[in-house]
Amino acid sequence: MNVQFKKGALELCVLALLDKQDHYGYELANKISKRIAISEGSVYPLLRRLAKEEYFTTYLQESKEGPSRKYYCLTDKGRDYLHQLIHEWVQFTSGVNKLLQESDHIE
Amino acid sequence: MNKDVFMKKLAAGIKKLPKEEQKEILQDFAEHFSVGVAEGKTEGEVAAALGAPNQVAKELVATYHLEKVNHSSNAGDVFRAVWAVIGLGFFNLVIVLGPFIALVSLIASGWVIGGSFILSPLVVLVNVVLYPETLLLFDVFVSIALTGLGILIIIGMYYVTRYMFKAFMKYLHFNVKMVKGGLNNE
Repeated sequence: MNVQFKKGALELCVLALLDKQDHYGYELANKISKRIAISEGSVYPLLRRLAKEEYFTTYLQESKEGPSRKYYCLTDKGRDYLHQLIHEWVQFTSGVNKLLQESDHIE
Repeated sequence: MNKDVFMKKLAAGIKKLPKEEQKEILQDFAEHFSVGVAEGKTEGEVAAALGAPNQVAKELVATYHLEKVNHSSNAGDVFRAVWAVIGLGFFNLVIVLGPFIALVSLIASGWVIGGSFILSPLVVLVNVVLYPETLLLFDVFVSIALTGLGILIIIGMYYVTRYMFKAFMKYLHFNVKMVKGGLNNE
């Protein structure tokens, strides 16, 4: 699959995961890279950017094994942005799917 | 590659960022390694999944400068952002630097033209001082008209410069997104 698609969707994936519950960095990178082939390192620049744009806040929490972990928590601003992205994504993918159906490439 | 090598290469790549920023980034990655190892992976496996440390560093540096430029209209910040984006790969040297140089020289020439129009009465003045017998009212009026035109050009250039600056920032953002997309092709 074209890398451009994956990268564009990365932001959406991060926000969508955080919408359900707070995650720490490793979890986010791991969950996303299981589904789409990205290098996990590129999640961190994105996390820093989104945090600076106030789409989420961070807090430290102790864990049973190992050192404390930095959790990311979606803000209302981030949630609004996520909904806007989802809307755009659904419109885009359904448009592409319709075009593929019309040209008989998929059932 | 083990954790130490990865962290050293990453630290070297981001050493020009503010200390606080560096500290946070290194903490994030140290945490990533320790969680990965706690889940039973080797340091080598974690490092491999993260990707090349110098590439990650370049992305972090470019992200930092672009974010800063969003909140600043300081020319130095813009130049650092341009350089950081160029640092992401040769490919971008052509796409970013080309339009940037073209744009800057266009804007600069606009300012020079406007400025020289405004100063044109001075040329008439100098001419009169040197060769008083050649004074022509025509020259005086043309130079005054040019001054008016020059002032209009300068006012126009002010808005053009501001607009271009914003447009170029958008272009830079687009570029970083594109480059980030290309990075994972490897």
